[in-house]
Amino acid sequence: MIVIIGLFVFLFIIGIVIYNSLIGKRNQVTNAFSAIDVMLKKRFDLIPNLVEVVKQYTNYEQSTLTKIVELRAKATSGNLTQEEKANLDTELSSAVKGLMVTVENYPDLKANTNFLNLQTTWTESEEQIAAARRTYNSAVTDYNNAIMMFPGNMFAGMLGYTKIEVLATPEEERKNISAKELFNN
Amino acid sequence: MDSEINSKVNLQEILNTLEVDRKKIAETYQTCYILAGLTILILIISIFIRFPALGVFGCLVPLIIGIVMYFRIDDEAKKYKSSYKINVVGAALKSINETLAITPLSGLPEYEFVSSELFTTEPDRYKTQDLITGTADKTSFWFAEVHAEYKTETQTKNGTRTEWHTIFEGIIFAADFNKNFNVSTVVRPKSFGASLGAWFSKNVFSFGNTEVVQLENTEFDNKFVTYSKNQIEARYILTPAMMERILALNNKSDETISISFIHSKMYIAFPLSNNYFEPPIHSSLLAPDLLTEDLSIVQFMHDIVHELDLNTRIWGKE
Repeated sequence: MIVIIGLFVFLFIIGIVIYNSLIGKRNQVTNAFSAIDVMLKKRFDLIPNLVEVVKQYTNYEQSTLTKIVELRAKATSGNLTQEEKANLDTELSSAVKGLMVTVENYPDLKANTNFLNLQTTWTESEEQIAAARRTYNSAVTDYNNAIMMFPGNMFAGMLGYTKIEVLATPEEERKNISAKELFNN
Repeated sequence: MDSEINSKVNLQEILNTLEVDRKKIAETYQTCYILAGLTILILIISIFIRFPALGVFGCLVPLIIGIVMYFRIDDEAKKYKSSYKINVVGAALKSINETLAITPLSGLPEYEFVSSELFTTEPDRYKTQDLITGTADKTSFWFAEVHAEYKTETQTKNGTRTEWHTIFEGIIFAADFNKNFNVSTVVRPKSFGASLGAWFSKNVFSFGNTEVVQLENTEFDNKFVTYSKNQIEARYILTPAMMERILALNNKSDETISISFIHSKMYIAFPLSNNYFEPPIHSSLLAPDLLTEDLSIVQFMHDIVHELDLNTRIWGKE
Protein backbone atom coordinates (compact mmCIF):
# COMPACT_ATOMS: atom_id res chain seq x y z
CA MET A 1 0.00 0.00 0.00
CA ILE A 2 2.74 2.41 1.05
CA VAL A 3 4.66 1.55 -2.09
CA ILE A 4 1.67 2.39 -4.26
CA ILE A 5 1.09 5.71 -2.48
CA GLY A 6 4.80 6.46 -2.75
CA LEU A 7 4.77 5.73 -6.45
CA PHE A 8 1.71 7.90 -6.92
CA VAL A 9 3.32 10.83 -5.08
CA PHE A 10 6.49 10.36 -7.08
CA LEU A 11 4.60 10.40 -10.39
CA PHE A 12 2.63 13.42 -9.25
CA ILE A 13 5.84 15.34 -8.48
CA ILE A 14 7.37 14.35 -11.81
CA GLY A 15 4.18 15.57 -13.47
CA ILE A 16 4.41 18.94 -11.74
CA VAL A 17 8.06 19.33 -12.75
CA ILE A 18 7.35 18.56 -16.40
CA TYR A 19 4.27 20.77 -16.45
CA ASN A 20 6.15 23.69 -14.89
CA SER A 21 9.12 23.30 -17.17
CA LEU A 22 6.79 23.35 -20.21
CA ILE A 23 5.11 26.53 -18.99
CA GLY A 24 8.53 28.03 -18.27
CA LYS A 25 9.74 27.23 -21.76
CA ARG A 26 6.63 28.65 -23.34
CA ASN A 27 7.07 31.85 -21.31
CA GLN A 28 10.67 32.05 -22.37
CA VAL A 29 9.58 32.02 -26.00
CA THR A 30 7.11 34.86 -25.37
CA ASN A 31 9.75 36.74 -23.47
CA ALA A 32 12.35 36.36 -26.20
CA PHE A 33 9.72 37.43 -28.71
CA SER A 34 9.00 40.68 -26.90
CA ALA A 35 12.73 41.32 -26.54
CA ILE A 36 13.00 41.43 -30.34
CA ASP A 37 10.13 43.88 -30.35
CA VAL A 38 11.87 46.16 -27.87
CA MET A 39 15.06 46.10 -29.92
CA LEU A 40 13.14 46.84 -33.12
CA LYS A 41 11.40 49.78 -31.49
CA LYS A 42 14.75 51.12 -30.33
CA ARG A 43 15.99 50.92 -33.88
CA PHE A 44 12.90 52.54 -35.38
CA ASP A 45 13.40 55.42 -32.95
CA LEU A 46 16.76 56.14 -34.49
CA ILE A 47 15.31 56.78 -37.92
CA PRO A 48 13.93 60.34 -37.48
CA ASN A 49 17.27 61.57 -36.13
CA LEU A 50 19.16 59.83 -38.88
CA VAL A 51 16.94 61.33 -41.54
CA GLU A 52 17.25 64.83 -40.03
CA VAL A 53 21.03 64.73 -40.01
CA VAL A 54 21.34 63.32 -43.50
CA LYS A 55 18.86 65.91 -44.86
CA GLN A 56 21.08 68.78 -43.76
CA TYR A 57 23.92 67.65 -45.95
CA THR A 58 22.40 66.06 -49.00
CA ASN A 59 19.97 67.23 -51.58
CA TYR A 60 20.01 64.27 -53.85
CA GLU A 61 19.00 61.39 -51.63
CA GLN A 62 15.44 62.57 -51.12
CA SER A 63 13.87 59.45 -52.57
CA THR A 64 15.83 57.14 -50.27
CA LEU A 65 14.98 59.26 -47.26
CA THR A 66 11.30 59.39 -48.12
CA LYS A 67 11.29 55.64 -48.52
CA ILE A 68 12.92 55.15 -45.14
CA VAL A 69 10.47 57.49 -43.42
CA GLU A 70 7.53 55.71 -45.03
CA LEU A 71 8.80 52.32 -43.97
CA ARG A 72 9.28 53.50 -40.43
CA ALA A 73 5.79 54.96 -40.29
CA LYS A 74 4.40 51.65 -41.50
CA ALA A 75 6.44 49.66 -39.00
CA THR A 76 5.35 51.72 -36.01
CA SER A 77 1.73 52.10 -37.02
CA GLY A 78 0.72 49.08 -34.93
CA ASN A 79 -1.70 46.32 -35.92
CA LEU A 80 1.10 44.41 -37.57
CA THR A 81 1.85 40.77 -37.17
CA GLN A 82 5.31 39.91 -36.03
CA GLU A 83 6.11 38.57 -39.45
CA GLU A 84 5.10 41.77 -41.21
CA LYS A 85 7.13 43.75 -38.74
CA ALA A 86 10.17 41.58 -39.31
CA ASN A 87 9.78 41.98 -43.07
CA LEU A 88 9.50 45.74 -42.78
CA ASP A 89 12.57 45.73 -40.61
CA THR A 90 14.52 43.80 -43.21
CA GLU A 91 13.46 46.24 -45.90
CA LEU A 92 14.29 49.20 -43.70
CA SER A 93 17.60 47.68 -42.82
CA SER A 94 18.68 47.33 -46.40
CA ALA A 95 17.46 50.85 -47.24
CA VAL A 96 19.56 52.29 -44.41
CA LYS A 97 22.52 50.17 -45.46
CA GLY A 98 22.22 51.67 -48.92
CA LEU A 99 22.09 55.12 -47.40
CA MET A 100 25.23 54.46 -45.36
CA VAL A 101 27.05 53.58 -48.56
CA THR A 102 25.94 56.72 -50.43
CA VAL A 103 27.22 58.76 -47.50
CA GLU A 104 30.68 58.07 -48.90
CA ASN A 105 29.90 60.79 -51.46
CA TYR A 106 29.38 63.45 -48.78
CA PRO A 107 32.61 64.04 -46.85
CA ASP A 108 31.01 66.72 -44.65
CA LEU A 109 28.30 64.36 -43.53
CA LYS A 110 30.80 61.60 -42.95
CA ALA A 111 32.71 63.86 -40.56
CA ASN A 112 29.62 64.96 -38.65
CA THR A 113 29.79 63.67 -35.06
CA ASN A 114 26.03 63.33 -34.80
CA PHE A 115 25.99 61.19 -37.87
CA LEU A 116 28.90 59.07 -36.64
CA ASN A 117 27.10 58.51 -33.35
CA LEU A 118 23.96 57.47 -35.16
CA GLN A 119 25.96 55.15 -37.36
CA THR A 120 27.53 53.36 -34.38
CA THR A 121 24.19 53.16 -32.59
CA TRP A 122 22.70 51.69 -35.74
CA THR A 123 25.34 48.96 -36.01
CA GLU A 124 24.96 48.32 -32.30
CA SER A 125 21.23 47.89 -32.64
CA GLU A 126 21.72 45.64 -35.64
CA GLU A 127 23.90 43.29 -33.62
CA GLN A 128 21.48 43.45 -30.69
CA ILE A 129 18.57 42.50 -32.90
CA ALA A 130 20.60 39.62 -34.29
CA ALA A 131 21.32 38.52 -30.70
CA ALA A 132 17.64 38.80 -29.78
CA ARG A 133 16.64 36.74 -32.81
CA ARG A 134 19.18 34.07 -31.93
CA THR A 135 17.89 34.02 -28.36
CA TYR A 136 14.35 33.64 -29.66
CA ASN A 137 15.37 30.79 -31.94
CA SER A 138 17.19 29.07 -29.11
CA ALA A 139 14.13 29.41 -26.84
CA VAL A 140 11.89 28.09 -29.62
CA THR A 141 14.15 25.08 -30.27
CA ASP A 142 14.19 24.36 -26.56
CA TYR A 143 10.41 24.59 -26.40
CA ASN A 144 9.88 22.50 -29.54
CA ASN A 145 12.17 19.79 -28.20
CA ALA A 146 10.28 19.77 -24.94
CA ILE A 147 6.83 19.43 -26.49
CA MET A 148 7.82 16.88 -29.10
CA MET A 149 9.82 14.53 -26.90
CA PHE A 150 8.42 12.02 -24.44
CA PRO A 151 7.04 12.64 -21.79
CA GLY A 152 6.58 16.35 -22.54
CA ASN A 153 4.50 15.53 -25.63
CA MET A 154 1.72 14.05 -23.45
CA PHE A 155 1.32 17.30 -21.53
CA ALA A 156 1.75 19.42 -24.64
CA GLY A 157 -1.30 17.69 -26.16
CA MET A 158 -3.39 18.47 -23.08
CA LEU A 159 -2.24 22.09 -22.94
CA GLY A 160 -2.76 22.53 -26.65
CA TYR A 161 0.86 23.52 -27.21
CA THR A 162 2.00 23.28 -30.80
CA LYS A 163 5.28 23.59 -32.57
CA ILE A 164 6.56 27.12 -33.25
CA GLU A 165 8.64 27.97 -36.30
CA VAL A 166 12.07 29.49 -35.79
CA LEU A 167 12.85 32.83 -37.42
CA ALA A 168 14.66 32.36 -40.67
CA THR A 169 17.65 34.52 -41.43
CA PRO A 170 16.69 37.04 -44.09
CA GLU A 171 17.93 35.95 -47.49
CA GLU A 172 20.10 39.03 -47.87
CA GLU A 173 21.90 38.47 -44.59
CA ARG A 174 22.89 35.00 -45.64
CA LYS A 175 24.75 36.29 -48.66
CA ASN A 176 28.36 37.20 -48.26
CA ILE A 177 28.85 40.90 -48.48
CA SER A 178 30.55 41.85 -51.69
CA ALA A 179 32.10 45.29 -51.75
CA LYS A 180 31.64 45.50 -55.49
CA GLU A 181 27.93 44.93 -55.24
CA LEU A 182 27.61 47.58 -52.54
CA PHE A 183 29.23 50.24 -54.61
CA ASN A 184 27.29 49.42 -57.73
CA ASN A 185 24.04 50.35 -55.99
CA MET B 1 67.24 52.29 -37.81
CA ASP B 2 69.93 54.01 -35.76
CA SER B 3 67.90 53.76 -32.62
CA GLU B 4 67.33 50.08 -33.31
CA ILE B 5 71.07 49.45 -33.61
CA ASN B 6 71.68 51.54 -30.50
CA SER B 7 69.16 49.63 -28.50
CA LYS B 8 70.69 46.36 -29.65
CA VAL B 9 74.12 47.56 -28.58
CA ASN B 10 72.66 48.67 -25.24
CA LEU B 11 70.95 45.34 -24.74
CA GLN B 12 74.20 43.52 -25.46
CA GLU B 13 75.99 45.67 -22.87
CA ILE B 14 73.34 44.96 -20.27
CA LEU B 15 73.54 41.25 -21.03
CA ASN B 16 77.33 41.31 -20.66
CA THR B 17 77.12 42.99 -17.25
CA LEU B 18 74.38 40.64 -16.10
CA GLU B 19 76.34 37.65 -17.33
CA VAL B 20 79.11 38.56 -14.84
CA ASP B 21 76.55 38.66 -12.01
CA ARG B 22 75.03 35.40 -13.18
CA LYS B 23 78.38 33.59 -13.15
CA LYS B 24 79.05 34.81 -9.63
CA ILE B 25 75.63 33.67 -8.45
CA ALA B 26 75.91 30.30 -10.20
CA GLU B 27 79.36 29.71 -8.68
CA THR B 28 78.19 30.63 -5.19
CA TYR B 29 75.20 28.30 -5.50
CA GLN B 30 77.56 25.54 -6.61
CA THR B 31 79.79 26.19 -3.60
CA CYS B 32 76.71 26.01 -1.37
CA TYR B 33 75.75 22.65 -2.85
CA ILE B 34 79.32 21.36 -2.38
CA LEU B 35 79.27 22.50 1.26
CA ALA B 36 75.95 20.77 1.80
CA GLY B 37 77.38 17.61 0.26
CA LEU B 38 80.42 17.91 2.49
CA THR B 39 78.23 18.24 5.59
CA ILE B 40 76.37 15.07 4.74
CA LEU B 41 79.58 13.26 3.90
CA ILE B 42 81.17 14.19 7.25
CA LEU B 43 78.01 13.12 9.03
CA ILE B 44 78.03 9.71 7.35
CA ILE B 45 81.74 9.19 8.01
CA SER B 46 81.33 10.14 11.69
CA ILE B 47 78.52 7.64 12.08
CA PHE B 48 80.54 5.04 10.23
CA ILE B 49 83.64 5.41 12.42
CA ARG B 50 81.49 5.96 15.54
CA PHE B 51 82.98 9.30 16.41
CA PRO B 52 80.02 11.61 17.10
CA ALA B 53 82.16 14.57 18.17
CA LEU B 54 83.58 14.78 14.66
CA GLY B 55 80.06 14.60 13.32
CA VAL B 56 78.84 17.54 15.42
CA PHE B 57 81.81 19.87 15.02
CA GLY B 58 82.86 18.78 11.57
CA CYS B 59 79.36 19.40 10.25
CA LEU B 60 78.83 22.77 11.87
CA VAL B 61 81.61 24.58 10.02
CA PRO B 62 80.61 23.86 6.40
CA LEU B 63 76.92 24.06 7.34
CA ILE B 64 77.14 27.56 8.81
CA ILE B 65 79.37 28.83 6.01
CA GLY B 66 77.00 27.31 3.47
CA ILE B 67 73.86 28.84 5.02
CA VAL B 68 75.40 32.32 5.32
CA MET B 69 76.60 32.20 1.73
CA TYR B 70 73.25 30.98 0.53
CA PHE B 71 71.31 33.79 2.18
CA ARG B 72 73.72 36.44 1.01
CA ILE B 73 73.63 35.29 -2.58
CA ASP B 74 69.86 34.86 -2.51
CA ASP B 75 69.49 38.62 -2.16
CA GLU B 76 71.77 39.16 -5.10
CA ALA B 77 69.91 36.57 -7.12
CA LYS B 78 66.68 38.51 -6.51
CA LYS B 79 68.32 41.72 -7.70
CA TYR B 80 69.70 39.89 -10.72
CA LYS B 81 66.26 38.53 -11.60
CA SER B 82 64.57 41.87 -11.28
CA SER B 83 67.29 43.62 -13.26
CA TYR B 84 66.97 40.99 -16.00
CA LYS B 85 63.22 41.39 -16.20
CA ILE B 86 63.26 45.17 -16.30
CA ASN B 87 66.25 45.70 -18.56
CA VAL B 88 66.36 42.67 -20.80
CA VAL B 89 62.75 41.49 -21.04
CA GLY B 90 61.55 45.12 -20.87
CA ALA B 91 63.76 46.10 -23.81
CA ALA B 92 62.88 43.01 -25.83
CA LEU B 93 59.15 43.71 -25.40
CA LYS B 94 59.56 46.95 -27.32
CA SER B 95 60.45 44.92 -30.41
CA ILE B 96 56.88 43.57 -30.42
CA ASN B 97 55.07 46.77 -29.52
CA GLU B 98 56.44 50.10 -28.29
CA THR B 99 53.78 50.40 -25.59
CA LEU B 100 54.57 47.09 -23.88
CA ALA B 101 56.05 47.34 -20.39
CA ILE B 102 56.79 44.83 -17.64
CA THR B 103 56.41 45.34 -13.88
CA PRO B 104 57.96 42.20 -12.36
CA LEU B 105 56.59 42.62 -8.84
CA SER B 106 53.03 43.52 -9.84
CA GLY B 107 50.44 41.16 -11.19
CA LEU B 108 46.73 40.64 -11.43
CA PRO B 109 45.40 41.61 -7.97
CA GLU B 110 43.57 38.90 -6.07
CA TYR B 111 40.33 40.90 -5.96
CA GLU B 112 40.42 41.18 -9.75
CA PHE B 113 41.00 37.44 -10.04
CA VAL B 114 37.93 36.82 -7.89
CA SER B 115 35.76 39.46 -9.56
CA SER B 116 36.67 38.16 -13.02
CA GLU B 117 34.39 35.18 -12.20
CA LEU B 118 36.65 32.92 -14.26
CA PHE B 119 36.78 30.43 -11.42
CA THR B 120 34.18 29.60 -8.85
CA THR B 121 36.55 28.70 -6.01
CA GLU B 122 38.03 31.52 -3.93
CA PRO B 123 41.77 31.15 -3.43
CA ASP B 124 43.38 30.69 0.00
CA ARG B 125 46.86 31.27 -1.34
CA TYR B 126 47.46 33.59 -4.25
CA LYS B 127 50.68 34.42 -6.07
CA THR B 128 51.04 36.70 -9.05
CA GLN B 129 53.95 38.36 -10.83
CA ASP B 130 55.29 39.75 -14.12
CA LEU B 131 52.54 42.13 -15.10
CA ILE B 132 52.85 43.17 -18.74
CA THR B 133 50.76 46.07 -19.99
CA GLY B 134 50.30 47.53 -23.42
CA THR B 135 47.99 49.00 -26.01
CA ALA B 136 47.33 47.56 -29.44
CA ASP B 137 45.82 50.31 -31.56
CA LYS B 138 42.69 51.30 -29.59
CA THR B 139 42.59 48.43 -27.14
CA SER B 140 44.51 48.40 -23.88
CA PHE B 141 45.40 45.00 -22.48
CA TRP B 142 47.44 43.46 -19.69
CA PHE B 143 48.41 40.01 -18.56
CA ALA B 144 50.24 38.41 -15.66
CA GLU B 145 51.32 35.07 -14.27
CA VAL B 146 48.97 33.78 -11.62
CA HIS B 147 49.02 30.80 -9.30
CA ALA B 148 45.89 30.43 -7.19
CA GLU B 149 45.33 27.60 -4.73
CA TYR B 150 42.79 26.53 -2.16
CA LYS B 151 43.39 24.32 0.85
CA THR B 152 41.61 21.40 2.38
CA GLU B 153 42.07 20.34 5.97
CA THR B 154 41.56 16.75 7.05
CA GLN B 155 41.67 15.44 10.59
CA THR B 156 44.11 12.59 11.05
CA LYS B 157 45.53 10.80 14.06
CA ASN B 158 48.49 13.16 14.11
CA GLY B 159 46.44 16.33 13.95
CA THR B 160 45.17 18.34 11.00
CA ARG B 161 46.70 17.76 7.63
CA THR B 162 46.57 20.67 5.20
CA GLU B 163 46.65 19.99 1.51
CA TRP B 164 46.94 22.60 -1.23
CA HIS B 165 45.16 22.23 -4.55
CA THR B 166 45.68 24.37 -7.61
CA ILE B 167 42.68 26.35 -8.86
CA PHE B 168 44.62 27.86 -11.67
CA GLU B 169 48.22 28.19 -12.78
CA GLY B 170 49.15 30.09 -15.89
CA ILE B 171 48.62 33.44 -17.52
CA ILE B 172 45.51 35.58 -17.23
CA PHE B 173 44.97 37.99 -20.06
CA ALA B 174 42.66 41.00 -19.72
CA ALA B 175 41.58 43.55 -22.29
CA ASP B 176 39.17 46.38 -22.62
CA PHE B 177 36.20 44.93 -24.53
CA ASN B 178 34.76 46.73 -27.55
CA LYS B 179 31.06 46.41 -26.76
CA ASN B 180 28.91 47.78 -23.97
CA PHE B 181 27.21 45.28 -21.70
CA ASN B 182 25.67 45.28 -18.23
CA VAL B 183 25.82 41.78 -16.84
CA SER B 184 28.60 39.22 -16.83
CA THR B 185 28.96 36.35 -19.27
CA VAL B 186 31.32 33.50 -18.46
CA VAL B 187 32.59 30.76 -20.79
CA ARG B 188 34.10 27.79 -18.97
CA PRO B 189 35.55 24.53 -20.27
CA LYS B 190 33.00 21.75 -20.47
CA SER B 191 33.79 19.12 -17.90
CA PHE B 192 31.63 16.28 -16.70
CA GLY B 193 30.52 18.25 -13.63
CA ALA B 194 29.81 21.38 -15.67
CA SER B 195 27.75 19.44 -18.25
CA LEU B 196 25.74 17.76 -15.52
CA GLY B 197 25.14 21.10 -13.78
CA ALA B 198 24.15 22.69 -17.08
CA TRP B 199 21.68 19.90 -17.85
CA PHE B 200 20.22 20.13 -14.35
CA SER B 201 19.75 23.91 -14.43
CA LYS B 202 18.21 23.75 -17.88
CA ASN B 203 15.83 20.90 -17.31
CA VAL B 204 15.05 20.76 -13.64
CA PHE B 205 15.91 23.74 -11.52
CA SER B 206 18.31 26.62 -11.85
CA PHE B 207 20.06 28.11 -8.82
CA GLY B 208 20.15 31.89 -8.61
CA ASN B 209 19.52 33.83 -11.78
CA THR B 210 22.56 32.77 -13.74
CA GLU B 211 21.49 30.65 -16.64
CA VAL B 212 23.21 28.38 -19.05
CA VAL B 213 23.25 29.88 -22.52
CA GLN B 214 22.84 27.32 -25.24
CA LEU B 215 24.59 28.60 -28.33
CA GLU B 216 24.00 27.50 -31.88
CA ASN B 217 27.62 26.75 -32.67
CA THR B 218 27.76 23.07 -31.75
CA GLU B 219 31.53 22.86 -31.67
CA PHE B 220 31.58 25.79 -29.27
CA ASP B 221 28.87 24.24 -27.15
CA ASN B 222 30.76 20.95 -27.01
CA LYS B 223 33.94 22.61 -25.76
CA PHE B 224 32.46 25.19 -23.40
CA VAL B 225 29.55 25.89 -21.09
CA THR B 226 28.36 29.51 -21.19
CA TYR B 227 26.70 31.18 -18.22
CA SER B 228 24.99 34.54 -18.17
CA LYS B 229 22.22 36.44 -16.42
CA ASN B 230 21.04 37.82 -19.73
CA GLN B 231 20.56 35.50 -22.70
CA ILE B 232 20.44 38.29 -25.27
CA GLU B 233 23.49 40.10 -23.98
CA ALA B 234 25.46 36.85 -23.97
CA ARG B 235 24.63 36.41 -27.66
CA TYR B 236 25.37 40.06 -28.34
CA ILE B 237 28.91 39.41 -27.08
CA LEU B 238 29.25 35.89 -28.46
CA THR B 239 28.33 36.53 -32.07
CA PRO B 240 28.82 33.64 -34.52
CA ALA B 241 32.07 35.25 -35.67
CA MET B 242 33.29 35.69 -32.09
CA MET B 243 32.61 32.05 -31.28
CA GLU B 244 34.68 30.98 -34.29
CA ARG B 245 37.51 33.26 -33.18
CA ILE B 246 37.42 31.91 -29.63
CA LEU B 247 37.54 28.34 -30.96
CA ALA B 248 40.54 29.20 -33.12
CA LEU B 249 42.27 30.78 -30.13
CA ASN B 250 41.47 27.76 -27.99
CA ASN B 251 42.99 25.43 -30.58
CA LYS B 252 46.30 27.22 -30.18
CA SER B 253 46.32 26.61 -26.45
CA ASP B 254 47.25 23.18 -25.07
CA GLU B 255 44.54 23.21 -22.43
CA THR B 256 41.01 24.55 -22.73
CA ILE B 257 40.80 28.23 -21.90
CA SER B 258 38.21 30.04 -19.76
CA ILE B 259 36.81 33.41 -20.73
CA SER B 260 34.74 35.98 -18.91
CA PHE B 261 33.16 39.24 -19.98
CA ILE B 262 32.61 41.46 -17.00
CA HIS B 263 32.79 45.16 -16.02
CA SER B 264 33.31 46.06 -19.70
CA LYS B 265 36.47 43.96 -19.85
CA MET B 266 37.26 40.51 -21.10
CA TYR B 267 39.44 38.04 -19.21
CA ILE B 268 41.02 34.91 -20.65
CA ALA B 269 42.75 32.29 -18.50
CA PHE B 270 45.43 30.18 -20.20
CA PRO B 271 46.50 27.23 -18.05
CA LEU B 272 50.29 26.93 -18.42
CA SER B 273 52.85 25.20 -16.26
CA ASN B 274 55.92 27.16 -17.41
CA ASN B 275 57.26 30.04 -15.39
CA TYR B 276 58.00 32.70 -17.99
CA PHE B 277 60.38 35.68 -17.96
CA GLU B 278 62.81 34.07 -15.50
CA PRO B 279 66.54 34.52 -16.19
CA PRO B 280 68.75 31.43 -16.46
CA ILE B 281 71.17 30.89 -13.59
CA HIS B 282 73.10 27.81 -14.59
CA SER B 283 73.21 28.49 -18.32
CA SER B 284 74.53 31.45 -20.24
CA LEU B 285 72.60 34.66 -20.78
CA LEU B 286 74.38 35.04 -24.09
CA ALA B 287 72.63 32.06 -25.70
CA PRO B 288 70.94 33.15 -28.94
CA ASP B 289 67.56 31.61 -28.06
CA LEU B 290 67.47 33.25 -24.63
CA LEU B 291 64.21 35.13 -25.10
CA THR B 292 62.57 33.10 -27.86
CA GLU B 293 60.02 31.33 -25.69
CA ASP B 294 59.18 34.38 -23.58
CA LEU B 295 58.73 36.60 -26.60
CA SER B 296 56.57 34.07 -28.40
CA ILE B 297 54.12 34.02 -25.48
CA VAL B 298 54.06 37.83 -25.42
CA GLN B 299 53.47 37.90 -29.17
CA PHE B 300 50.65 35.41 -28.71
CA MET B 301 48.98 37.58 -26.05
CA HIS B 302 49.49 40.70 -28.12
CA ASP B 303 47.89 39.08 -31.18
CA ILE B 304 44.74 38.16 -29.25
CA VAL B 305 43.52 41.73 -29.64
CA HIS B 306 43.62 41.35 -33.43
CA GLU B 307 42.40 37.79 -33.48
CA LEU B 308 39.32 38.59 -31.45
CA ASP B 309 38.87 41.78 -33.44
CA LEU B 310 38.79 43.97 -30.35
CA ASN B 311 39.91 47.01 -32.32
CA THR B 312 36.70 47.24 -34.29
CA ARG B 313 35.07 50.07 -32.40
CA ILE B 314 31.78 50.48 -34.16
CA TRP B 315 29.53 49.55 -31.26
CA GLY B 316 29.21 52.85 -29.48
CA LYS B 317 32.16 52.23 -27.19
CA GLU B 318 35.36 54.20 -27.67
